Parts: sequence; structure tokens; C-alpha cells
Amino acid sequence: MSTQTSPIIRLVSVGKRFGDFEALVDVDLEVRPGERIVICGPSGSGKSTLIRCINRMEKHTSGTIVVNGHELTDDLRDIDAVRREIGMVFQSFNLFPHMTVLRNLTIAQRLVRKTPKAEAEAVAMHFLERVRIPEQAAKYPAQLSGGQQQRVAIARALCMKPRIMLFDEPTSALDPEMISEVLEVMVDLAGDGMTMVCVTHEMGFARSVADRVIFMDRGRLVEQADPETFFTRPQNERTALFLRQILRH
Amino acid sequence: MTGWWDDYLWAALTVAKVFVCSLVFMVVFGLSGAAAKLSSSKPAQAVANAYTVFFRGTPEILVVLLLYFGSAVTLTAVGRLFDPSIRFLDIPPFWAGTIAIALVVGAYATETFRGAFLGVSPGSIEAARALGMSGLQTFVYIRIPEMWRLALPPFGNHMLSLVKDTALISIIGLEEMLFVAKQATSTTGKPFTMYIVVGLIYLAFSTLVTGLTMALEHHANRHLRAPT
Amino acid sequence: MKVEIALDALPRMLAGIGLTFQLLLLALGIGTALAVLLLLMRISGRWWLSLPAQAYCYVFRGTPILVQIFIIYYGLPQFEWLRESVLWVVLRDPFGCAVLALALNVGAYVTEILRGGVLSVERGLLEAGAALGMSSTHRFVYITAPLAVRIALPAYGNEIISLLKSTALASTITLADMTGIARTVVAETFAPYEVFISLALVYVSLAWLIQRSMHRVEARIGRYATRRAG
Repeated sequence: MSTQTSPIIRLVSVGKRFGDFEALVDVDLEVRPGERIVICGPSGSGKSTLIRCINRMEKHTSGTIVVNGHELTDDLRDIDAVRREIGMVFQSFNLFPHMTVLRNLTIAQRLVRKTPKAEAEAVAMHFLERVRIPEQAAKYPAQLSGGQQQRVAIARALCMKPRIMLFDEPTSALDPEMISEVLEVMVDLAGDGMTMVCVTHEMGFARSVADRVIFMDRGRLVEQADPETFFTRPQNERTALFLRQILRH
Repeated sequence: MTGWWDDYLWAALTVAKVFVCSLVFMVVFGLSGAAAKLSSSKPAQAVANAYTVFFRGTPEILVVLLLYFGSAVTLTAVGRLFDPSIRFLDIPPFWAGTIAIALVVGAYATETFRGAFLGVSPGSIEAARALGMSGLQTFVYIRIPEMWRLALPPFGNHMLSLVKDTALISIIGLEEMLFVAKQATSTTGKPFTMYIVVGLIYLAFSTLVTGLTMALEHHANRHLRAPT
Repeated sequence: MKVEIALDALPRMLAGIGLTFQLLLLALGIGTALAVLLLLMRISGRWWLSLPAQAYCYVFRGTPILVQIFIIYYGLPQFEWLRESVLWVVLRDPFGCAVLALALNVGAYVTEILRGGVLSVERGLLEAGAALGMSSTHRFVYITAPLAVRIALPAYGNEIISLLKSTALASTITLADMTGIARTVVAETFAPYEVFISLALVYVSLAWLIQRSMHRVEARIGRYATRRAG
């Protein structure tokens, strides 16, 4: 791994409190361009909160986060600039139910990027083809299967030409038979050199795609390593315990 | 305002009485309507459907007028059979009005009770039966409390409707607050003051009923809150 | 029950249907515009805007429409300055008073209906909009508003039916709408059953018509919700 390139995401002793509850404690993390990171951990460990802080869906309460050269503060113009460069995929898809698939993909391009209609639609169709469902363009989200909806959601994020993609448990809400179609799209994306931060429990995906796997527990980064080391020689006993539980399935 | 306070007080008391009586009738009409709609008897369902369609589509004021003048015509006709010298008989505006507004709001309550009955999760009913509870026990211990919880928010709105509909009974001559305001206006020449007082008293009634509903909901939902 | 009386009375009462519709449509239009304004105040996040809007809804939803009509029609002329202002054009006329009272009322109820719609829009969708870099105004116009309208539509339809029923109260301040005429006819014929029941059936049919057309509208703009229809 080269360390020449400067990080595209840098978190320095980041903390996040919800009232009395500490969701993140003293988190340090650097992600270099093109790097693929998988974050795992038990529920409530703060992994979703962590990636939601990266595009400021949540505001961190201490420490600093710098994304793409912008420090995340209350200055709204910076936040929008940052969000333009980050795509996010949610666990529950969050497609706009009242818009067709095509409009889901073009709405932000047109409003945020001010892309002309024809061009936005061309971009949308391009990415629909990449997620292999161009024929669904005219349908409404409710008319698609869960796997198809999540692929549309990935395409929607890609249409904004982001430099970073965040995935927040993209397959947890899916029936088992649909998980692979979404993972295939994600593997594809990784092959293109996209910077990715994924919260997921799909350990097969982590093993084959991740440059680094991170284990979180109770708001802290407990362990991070390359997949080989992470899965075969976990250093921390909590990591080992978690892996035993999750790999038993 | 001086000199009219006791009139307003008595009138407000009348409104409270109308409210309480109509509430009782409303619950009776609503439960009967819901039972009929849920029953397997086709005629009962048809009657209940006609009831809800008619009373939910008819202006409340028309129902009040219909019940008062209708009952008066009938009573007078019956009375004349016995004593031809009778010119006019009516049932007191209090009762005609009370039943009229209870019929209207009861039509809405029918749908509320029916929905609440159907809204109880079949899982808990099955579980109760699996534990060996009888049909009646299941009804009393499982279905009624759950129904009550589901029906409470709309039921609170029905009570508010009743409070506000009491104002309509002034039209058939019940001596309630609008009646007092009219009289007071004719002697003081201050209509705004006199009618605003009526509005404020109604607002107080509504607030009271809303508070009561909230307290009941708080109690009914106590098992859904995290222990403190 | 004499059918002839009902058949005689119906055409007379139907002469008032125009007035009933005028009251309905004017009050609905003005009231809905008012409701949008009040809604924006309520969700503005600024207490000095949301508090007055909240108080407004509380007062108008907590008092009978009849009382509001009386306050406006009988009460307001108490003020000399009002009688000399431009507003008097509306307020000296019972029709103007009825429209005003009904519109103010509709405004309060529809605000709550719209707010319910806004609150039920899933948070995740707004997050998705924010994640795509959409501004809060864009999120409101393109995500919240269209979804809230669809969610609020059935309740809005019920509110139109309530308003139709409330227009009958205009008869208490001398207006000759359908109910006003019916009361005159009953005073002449003393046949309350025939007259009032046939009029009630007219209202029931109108309510049914409103409900049917609202279902149409719902089906039309709610088509995204039907699975695998395309």
C-alpha cells in the first residue's frame, strides 16, 4: 500500500454524543483515494453513525472531519460542496416513491448540478445499464423488487459522479436471494477504483474487495487490518468473538 | 357584562348536560352500529350502512331540525287522537337536540369502533386462545383493552365534535349560551362582547375535553413506554 | 309521509344549490390558501411564526362554527371603525360573513391535515435528498410537498364534505341556501319529514359525489403506489 497520496477522508479524534449516550468515542480514521473500507461490528456499535458523520447526516460533537479538503463545520456552503462529492446508499433504499426510477436518477442532477434534461437522462440511463436494469426506467419504486430498488439507489448516487461512496448496510433489508445482485454491483464499482466506505456484515464481500476491514464496538475503532490478517489473526478478543458469531452462519 | 354572568353560567351548565347525555347516546349508537356492521347478518349490515351513510352526509343542523320538528308533528298527531283541542306538542329541545347530535357523531363512532375491533392484531387473539382463554375472556382481557387504545384518539375527536355541536341546539330554542348572548345583546348593545364570551367558554370546554382525552391516552399507552 | 310534498319542495330547495356551491368553493379556495400559509408558519422552525399559527388553529378548531359565524355577523358591527373601513363591504353582507367564517374554519382544519402529511413523510427520503446535495427548499418542493399532498388527500376530501355540511349553517344568518329554503318551506307546509329528509338525501348524494371524485384524484396522483402496474 502506498502512503504517498493524501487522504480524501480524515477523522481526528471524532466524538458523537446523543444526550448522555456516546455513539462515537475518539475515532481516528484516514481513507485514501481509491481505498475500499469495510466497517463491521455489533448493532449499536456506532458504525452507521460514523459514516453518517462523513457526509454530515449527523453532526459530530467533537474532533475534526476533513473530506476532500473541506472541514465539516456548520458553514452550509461547505457541507453542500462536500455532499456533492459523496454518494450515499441507505439500508432502506429511500427512493422517492412518487417519482419514476428515471426521475429519481435525474432530479438531483438537474436541481443540484443544473444538468440539462437530455444530458441528465443520458447519464441516468448509463448508470441504470451499469446496475443492469435499464428496462425499469419508467416504473415507480414500489413496482420493483427490493434488490432492484437498491440497485436504483446505487445508480442514483452514482449519477452525481461522486468521488466517494458510502454504503450504510445496503443489503440488510433485502431477502437473501437479492443480496448477491446488489453485491455484484458493488464489486463492479470497486473494480473501477471508486473510494468506498461500506458498513456491512457481508464478510465474503469484505474478504474479496476490501483493502481494510475495521471492527467497531461501543463507539470505538477496536481493530483495523487487511482482510487476510483481520479474518485469520484478529488481534482483539472482541473482534474474534464477533467473527465467530457472524461466520457461524 | 355585569348582570349576565349567572345566565352564562346556567347556560354553560346546560351545555355540559347536553354533552354528557349525548356522549352516552353516542357510545350506544356507535357500538350498536359497529356490532351490526361486524355481524354476519346481511339486514343488520344494511341498516348500519344506511345509518352511517345518511348521518355522515347530512348537515348536523338538518338532523337537529328534522328530529325536533319531526317528533313534534308526530306527537301532535298522536295527541290529537286523544284530545282534538291540542294545538302543538313537542319533545323538549334538550332531548331532541341531544339525540340528534348523538346520532350524527354516533355514525362516525361506528366506523371508529369497527376499525378498532378489526385493528386488534390476530396474533395476540390466537395466542390468547392457544393459552386456553375462552372467547369471552379473550374479548374482555385482550380485545377490549387493545380496541380502547386504538379507538381513543378518534374518540377524543368525536367528543370534541359533540361539544361543538351543542351550539346547534339553540336553533330549536334550547336556552343555552347563544340564546343568552342574543338576549344580552338586545339589552346591552354589545354583540361582540357577548358572543366572544360564548366562544371563550366553548374554548374552555374543548380544552377540558382534549386534556381528558390526553390523560386517557397516556393511561392506555402506559405499557408502550420504556420503564423510567 | 306525502310524496307530493317532497316532490313539490325539491325543485324549490334545489334553487339554492348555486348558493351552497358558491359558499363551498369560495370558502374552500380561500381556506386552503390560508392553510398553506399557516402550514409554512408552523413548520418554519421560528417560534414567532409557528406559535401564532398554532394558536389560530387551536382557537378555530376549539369553537363551534355557528359561534364563529355569529361573532362575525352579529358581533363585529359593534365596532364603529370597522363599519367605516373597506372591510365593511364584506362584513355587512351575510354572504360575505358566511364565506369568511367558513374559510377561516377550513384554514384551521386543513392546516392540521397538511401538517399531518408533512410529518408522515419519511425522514429517510429527506436524508436521501440531502445526501444528493439538494437544498432544504428543493427538498420541500420536490420531496416533502408532493408526498404530503398525496398523504393528506383523503383527509382533505373528508374536510370538503364537512365544509359542505357546514354551509347549511349559513341559513342561520338569513341566507337562502338549500337549508334556508327548506326551513321556509317547512314553516309553510309544516311537513318536516318530507322536506328535511328529501333535502338530506340531496346532501348525501353531493357528499357521495365529492367522495367519488376525490377517489379519482387519489387514484390518479397516487398511481406510483400501485405495485407492478406499469
